[in-house]
Amino acid sequence: MLRIGASRLLQHGGRHAAVVSAARTQSSAPDKIEVFIDDMPVMVPPGTTVLQAAAQAGVEIPRFCYHERLSVAGNCRMCLVEVEKSVKPVAACAMPVMKGWRIKTDSEMTRKAREGDQSMAFGSDRSRFLENKRAVEDKNIGPLVKTIMTRCIHCTRCVRFATEIAGVEDLGTTGRGTNMEIGTYVEKMLLSELSGNVIDLCPVGALTSKPYAFTARPWEIRRTDSVDVMDAVGSNIVVNHRTGEVLRILPQVNEDINEEWLSDKSRFAYDGLKRQRLVYPMVKDSDGELRPCEWEDALIVAAKALKAADGSVAAIAGGLADAEALVALKDLVFPDAGTGTDLRSSYLLNTKIVGVEEADMIVFVGANPRFEAPLFNTRVRKAWTYNELHAAMIGPDVNLTYDCEHLGDDASIIGKLLDGSHPFSQRLTAAKRPMIVVGTSLLARPDGDVLYAQLLQLSQKLRSSCEGGSEWRVFNILHRVASQVAALDLGYTPGVADIRNNPPKVLYLMGADEGAITREDLPKDTLVIYQGHHGDQGAEMADVVLPGAAYTEKTATYVNMEGRAQQTQAALVPPGMAREDWKIIRALSEIVDTRLPYDKLNDIRNRLAEVSPNLTRYGDVEEANYFAQATALAEMVSGKKGAAPIDVPQKKLEDFYMTNSITRASPTMAKCIAAVKKEAANKYIE
Amino acid sequence: MASRLARSTVRQVKPLLSIDQGEARKRVLNLYKAWYRQIPYIVVDYDLPKSKEQCRQKLREEFEKHRHVQDIRTVDMLVIKGQMELKETVEIWKQKHGLMAYWRDSVEPRPKDFLSKFLDGHE
Repeated sequence: MLRIGASRLLQHGGRHAAVVSAARTQSSAPDKIEVFIDDMPVMVPPGTTVLQAAAQAGVEIPRFCYHERLSVAGNCRMCLVEVEKSVKPVAACAMPVMKGWRIKTDSEMTRKAREGDQSMAFGSDRSRFLENKRAVEDKNIGPLVKTIMTRCIHCTRCVRFATEIAGVEDLGTTGRGTNMEIGTYVEKMLLSELSGNVIDLCPVGALTSKPYAFTARPWEIRRTDSVDVMDAVGSNIVVNHRTGEVLRILPQVNEDINEEWLSDKSRFAYDGLKRQRLVYPMVKDSDGELRPCEWEDALIVAAKALKAADGSVAAIAGGLADAEALVALKDLVFPDAGTGTDLRSSYLLNTKIVGVEEADMIVFVGANPRFEAPLFNTRVRKAWTYNELHAAMIGPDVNLTYDCEHLGDDASIIGKLLDGSHPFSQRLTAAKRPMIVVGTSLLARPDGDVLYAQLLQLSQKLRSSCEGGSEWRVFNILHRVASQVAALDLGYTPGVADIRNNPPKVLYLMGADEGAITREDLPKDTLVIYQGHHGDQGAEMADVVLPGAAYTEKTATYVNMEGRAQQTQAALVPPGMAREDWKIIRALSEIVDTRLPYDKLNDIRNRLAEVSPNLTRYGDVEEANYFAQATALAEMVSGKKGAAPIDVPQKKLEDFYMTNSITRASPTMAKCIAAVKKEAANKYIE
Repeated sequence: MASRLARSTVRQVKPLLSIDQGEARKRVLNLYKAWYRQIPYIVVDYDLPKSKEQCRQKLREEFEKHRHVQDIRTVDMLVIKGQMELKETVEIWKQKHGLMAYWRDSVEPRPKDFLSKFLDGHE
């Protein structure tokens, strides 16, 4: 595995990494040196490359292989420039500047060098190109990335991405010179949850998107900026659409969240938006079959049941529900319930995603960040690569793509770490900026509250002793679904034990498709209302189905695991008779005779702000505190610890692809799982 | 220079037809009377499913719609348009539905409140 040493880091390290390491070593900033780009003087720190210096002067040197987030290869020779008094042109991406250099980015020598050896100008009028044209066989590297290898110029961006950022060493080069080829050595799939990013990286289109191939031209496409909801990271995306369907999803740069990457699930699950959709309201008839009907009929059936239930109503929100729908549902069903489930610091990723780059120790407890939040995992890997971050794991021994010390999967390890009797305790206490990242599956265990309380106390102990001081936050929760933080902010409680113990007369499912409650858990006369966009487990058990909008079809608020509110933008209209989710509840409320006081998006956003102002401060992270108080509360928790080992639901790559109703409806995701399983069955590989 | 600019802003506008309020009013009343007298013939010629009384009520409504207009030039312009309309009606250049459009029987009112908009598919 690739891990860059401190000397290398000072030369070429990523921007953040360099800043962090400088801060930690307390070295004084070295004096800047002066260089001249096309006779323009620029002051740059020593170690800056010619290409970076030129960028600072506002001159863009053309490049193929150089990419600012990858290591420097210097093999495409496109960025060659002339340096005065140098015999040969130099590769701008790899060459650090020296004091007083005069760089010419547009001289005769530079242009010649860029054009390569193409001495055609004064040659014969007959072609002397008698050799065979070079062609390379295309390779099959899985159902997501299509290869057209003849186009490849061997810039090795994809190879560097796979080894450095995705952490899989599947891609590499074979042969030299004309015979050089990029490939996977033997025919195999690119086994990574981030493989789609090589498509964006490829400068020549040798790697393209298989599902998007031949579907559209970029100039026909409309683009809508939005936010991804496949996990709780909240990656920024651009939805590319035309004629009422999503054609592809691309990442949008956000340095605080996803940098410029996107996970395969977020990028390729969009074809699930066209299948298994609920397009009209449905009500169960006397034969027990769901029949399509008008909105009025469905709303009246639902309203009658809600009125007759006389307060015996429960609601379950699924992982794709937006904050507007959640607040409307809360106002309709539980108008008197309080807001705010817990101290916010108890359920956020308090360190923030960028904060990982400052940490020197990270302990995962019952979490598999690689598949639960792939882009959080890339951050951890980045910190591991550049900043000597030490990672450890309590839970199953899973491959996180970087070295991770496996402490075991016994739940008692947490207690031992707390009282200091575990061999790892010493190193944990010695850490300057430690992080503890708790998976949500751990909290769902029967003894989850006891373990949670212990982890809170451990974090507070580490926080008071670590070098980071009160500014540094140790305790983190790694959420798996996009709706979770907003739901907790609004006062939804985690878990469905209450519903199972006293079943309600009416159960309202807001996109709840994970089967937390099944028909068997409910008495026969309970009426189930399902509101959502896919015909999945929830709709299957429902008596009334109200069709809602998917994340590409509504302007809605989602809060990511850091507590950062962001909004999706409606790229399309909901299909058929489906409507935006909060409007359905607003209409239903009027028929139940408890009219909710909002008609417009702005009205409901005001209501959101009233409940929790952070929900409408888009793009900002609202920080949370009160760790001491949370710890004091945790000390009161008592209970028995179970003997079950700590486990995570997603262990292998095939567990990654299908986690919600959209991905379960996606043919591409199904193909991925089939391909990964086939790969695993191949006895000639590993 | 400055005085010329100031003068140009308060210049007298050219009248369309009428010089003062009284004359404009007379033109309006004349148009009203002409329509009023034509109504029995219109009902027969166009075979309107409306009575004379209903038509006279509609005529009054259409004039009342512009009762608030004070500007003489606007009043004149409305009178000219009314005369053109009358001419078209008398000459049977219009068709039956063109006249029935005054009653807007086939126009459904757009929903105003949230719930009707929702059920109509506008929300």
